[in-house]
Amino acid sequence: MSLSGLTAALLADDGTADWPRRVPARLDTVLASMPLAARAGLRAAARGVDIYAAVRTGRTLGALTPAERESVLEDLAARPGLLPLLDALKVPVLLAAGTERLLEHAPAPRGPVRHDPPLDLTPLYAWPARSTADAVVIGSGAGGAMAARTLARAGLRVVVLEEGEHHSTESFGERPPLDRFNELYRDGGATVAVGSPPLLLPVGRAVGGTTVVNSGTCYRTPAHVLTHWSRDLGFTLADGFDRHLDEAERSLRVATQPMDVLGANGRIALAGAHALDWRAAPLRRNAPGCQGSCQCVAGCPTGAKQSVQLSVLPEACAAGARIVTGARVERILVDADRPKGPRAAGVRARGQDAECEILAPLVVVAAGALQSPPLLRRSGLGRHPRLGRNLSVHPATSVAGRFAEPVTAWEGVLQSVGVEEHRADGILIEATAAPPGMSSFVLPGLGAELRRELDGADRLATLGAMIADRPSGRVLGRDRTLVRYDVDRRDAGRLVRALRAMGELLFAAGAEEVLTGIPDTPRVRSLAELDAVLAGTSVSRLHLSAYHPTGTVAAGHDLQRCPCDPLGRLRGVRGVLVADASALPSCPQVNPQLSIMAQALAITEAFLDA
Amino acid sequence: MSADPTSGPATSSGSPARGTVFRESMLGSLRLDDDDRTRRVRLDLTVSADRLLRPFGTTMARATGRIRVTGWSDDPHAEGDLEISPLARRRIRYRITFTADGRRLTLDGWKSVSPRRPVTSMTVLPYTLYEDGVRLGAGTLRFPLGTQLFPFLTSFRFPRRENPGAFLTPRWRGEPGRTEVWYTTVTDPDTGTGLWLHHELTSPADGSPPYAHGWAAVFPKDGPVRHARFGPAAWSAQESGFSTDGIAVRPGSLSGSAEDGALRWDIAERPAGEPLFTFPRWSWRRLLLPAAQMLPAARSCYDGSFTHDGTTLTLTSATGASARIYGHGNARRWAWLHADLGGGDVLEIVSAVSTRPGLRRLPPLTFFQLRRHGRTWPRRPERSAVGWAGLCRFRTDIGLPTWTVTGRTALRRIRVEVTQPADRVLALDYTDPDGGHATCRNSERADAHVRLERWWFGGWRTEAEWELDGTAHAEVGSR
Repeated sequence: MSLSGLTAALLADDGTADWPRRVPARLDTVLASMPLAARAGLRAAARGVDIYAAVRTGRTLGALTPAERESVLEDLAARPGLLPLLDALKVPVLLAAGTERLLEHAPAPRGPVRHDPPLDLTPLYAWPARSTADAVVIGSGAGGAMAARTLARAGLRVVVLEEGEHHSTESFGERPPLDRFNELYRDGGATVAVGSPPLLLPVGRAVGGTTVVNSGTCYRTPAHVLTHWSRDLGFTLADGFDRHLDEAERSLRVATQPMDVLGANGRIALAGAHALDWRAAPLRRNAPGCQGSCQCVAGCPTGAKQSVQLSVLPEACAAGARIVTGARVERILVDADRPKGPRAAGVRARGQDAECEILAPLVVVAAGALQSPPLLRRSGLGRHPRLGRNLSVHPATSVAGRFAEPVTAWEGVLQSVGVEEHRADGILIEATAAPPGMSSFVLPGLGAELRRELDGADRLATLGAMIADRPSGRVLGRDRTLVRYDVDRRDAGRLVRALRAMGELLFAAGAEEVLTGIPDTPRVRSLAELDAVLAGTSVSRLHLSAYHPTGTVAAGHDLQRCPCDPLGRLRGVRGVLVADASALPSCPQVNPQLSIMAQALAITEAFLDA
Repeated sequence: MSADPTSGPATSSGSPARGTVFRESMLGSLRLDDDDRTRRVRLDLTVSADRLLRPFGTTMARATGRIRVTGWSDDPHAEGDLEISPLARRRIRYRITFTADGRRLTLDGWKSVSPRRPVTSMTVLPYTLYEDGVRLGAGTLRFPLGTQLFPFLTSFRFPRRENPGAFLTPRWRGEPGRTEVWYTTVTDPDTGTGLWLHHELTSPADGSPPYAHGWAAVFPKDGPVRHARFGPAAWSAQESGFSTDGIAVRPGSLSGSAEDGALRWDIAERPAGEPLFTFPRWSWRRLLLPAAQMLPAARSCYDGSFTHDGTTLTLTSATGASARIYGHGNARRWAWLHADLGGGDVLEIVSAVSTRPGLRRLPPLTFFQLRRHGRTWPRRPERSAVGWAGLCRFRTDIGLPTWTVTGRTALRRIRVEVTQPADRVLALDYTDPDGGHATCRNSERADAHVRLERWWFGGWRTEAEWELDGTAHAEVGSR
């Protein structure tokens, strides 16, 4: 079914511009990479709108004039209950529209692209069906890369299995962000945590894992979190984290983002914080020489961002590690009849038209907090009652401020400034822009109103805030992941307070109005008005997203609560280490890349010492 | 497991009583990394495990056999090991080392057993080829069900795993009227000389104290037979073997002297075969027949020296066998043959007429065991001794200088003709526990002619024929 009618209606296509006509085709490619349920849901909703139009006017959307389409949408928008649904429809349409608009107003080509350091990559079909190794690492993200490097440097024959493909910096530079976006994210970025409200939870799938598509922000694990992990949860490896965090920072060449390419979005955040006398500063990032392409979330096109595929994995390969791409691990092979109890023997991986088994006495699970629990379950290792529970995600929400002068937020650093004034309350505000359509902020309005917002998007500055949440989520499933996350009551309050703080910051920076992202009251023009709006708003009306799932195979001393022991070894089987975000004992309260890498380093070093 | 032969089968302590042996052939292909050609591969393996296969556990096994890779390798001495764990680990892993082009290579692969595809997963063996841990190529072998399933299933054997040393432990537990013998016969291949060492424990039927005695004899190729007796001496309880008055039989060694050192020997024994029960195994374990004889190892190799009257014979990998007898005494009439047929094949025959009333009227019972290519024929000695209620039993015509044995089973028949020329025979007097006497005529330089035939579509065809010229060990006894 063609979505041209819907896109024409939503974008108020009056034929005056070329790019809206290309949006339906682009939308089809976006939908093709999404999971079946999301695809079917969106198409069903689009058909519903079409049927409504047919009932009301006798014709479907595609056959209506622009004015008639506008009238249909106005009718629909008048029903508050439909607004969240229409917002959900808008997200992929805006993604496609943003790309097509961007292509029409393509930015000038950047400077020369850096050459990626070499990796030892083999696609699964070229890998032997039977092989052996000293250690198999499942996943090549932050945890997997660090584990692979540590083990390879210790002289072990290491094979890293990655479900995604390898994408070079050169390939990022050659294609528009959306094309990359679909390939770099699991489910085309449409992973959703079921709950009230539902939560968008995009995770990367490529050599380098989510580090390829994160914003590059590198926070050290806060001291109070480390103390909590060590003293309260018995994760004693946290005691030596400082050394490992230093090593992770060195590997990623972490430094404070210089001001030169910070971009207007970041400068506005700094100005607002200055006006309010709030603590704020450019973030520490792993992007030396960042040129402000603002495309971190679709792979850095200049190679400045030191995602692990450019930093840690080349070092692992130099030490002898090998990476197999396109290999989804079906199960960890377990020898159940070993004298001292079950023991991991290797893994079985499958890809398109190929499968392989690798025998190894050590299996390092680093498939990410959303994939590791299902993997363990389908391997027969999911008997621990807390496996998949204890999920924290750092729920985040965003607002935009409209300024009199152009901001052009997508020219500069994607995530540039951190506002830490409310960190004690578990709220971390980060000035975050994104290529048009890829932002988690959903522009308000339908039809002509939405089109106006799109055309005026260059005057918007966007902020995002994430909160330190309680572990109220759960990863279900065995072959496919199903995430369940219900925002805790305390966290709901935090999210609302975060929204107010961002509004306050934008007004202080001189915003004419603030776009709240709340469907009923999308715009406020003063802080008082914002307070009034927030007083009557429940968290279920907010657009939430999350980027940092952690804790689903937590490590700790409590046998009943933690599937992993304090050294990261999975309980109930020998030879399985968990070295990714899932083994973090609780929410790290900051962007977790450094924490994950330090933990993977600590766990693998502890294994080698033992 | 107890070393007491009366309480169970004699095996090395802790090891299972039976192993598993089977043969498997697989066909497939190999592609070397530096070569575009796909080569055909055939792998024929004989797999042996020290225990019965454990369907719900893991069995480690050794594999030997032949691997053929078209245009590249044909190694009949491939060897390696198997990890057989179809359910516990869902894996049957093969690691086979072989030589190709002068390079030592290892084939490493495994069948990955899946309940979803039981046949495919149990028959397809993907593998990788390594040289010193570096990958050379990869391929897949398949077990061809149509042609190989039946031979594979019928190749399964579950041989007993026994420790030859355990059979040297004395059987005698103080009963009166018993005789127990440890004897060894050897042929020196260099000189053609035969040796006979006989160690005997006799417990008289009248309850008088047991005594140990015996003799040593040498059968030179170009001289008269020389022998010397030792004992009788008082018997003291032994843990293993025979030992009295400086003469000893221990696992792996024979030593002693007789006639004040006129005959001296110090010989090391290396078992080179599985035990051979000439009489039914049950008759050795429980003394239900008047006597029973068995060989702890069907054949053994001997190194050492044997001196007689100043002449020293040095043995280097001489062949022969040690045997054990336990029973109430000697038979009324008997004939015995131990023939080393070469290539690991051995023929052992004991034909005897009992002294018991009634039994003494029967023709000789022929206990006949041919160990050929690792298999024993007939499968059970009862088959040759009594046949089917007396029908089709093997027959012995005892006489001197020539005696014969004939017999047949469904598809095979055999004729053995043993000749003991008078000048190569040593006649000795045996004393039974009850005081009776018998005379044995023994030769460790006897001749034998053995012809094994197989029935093949209407006629008998000679399957194998052996001519032993002065290397057979034989004895005929009478009263």
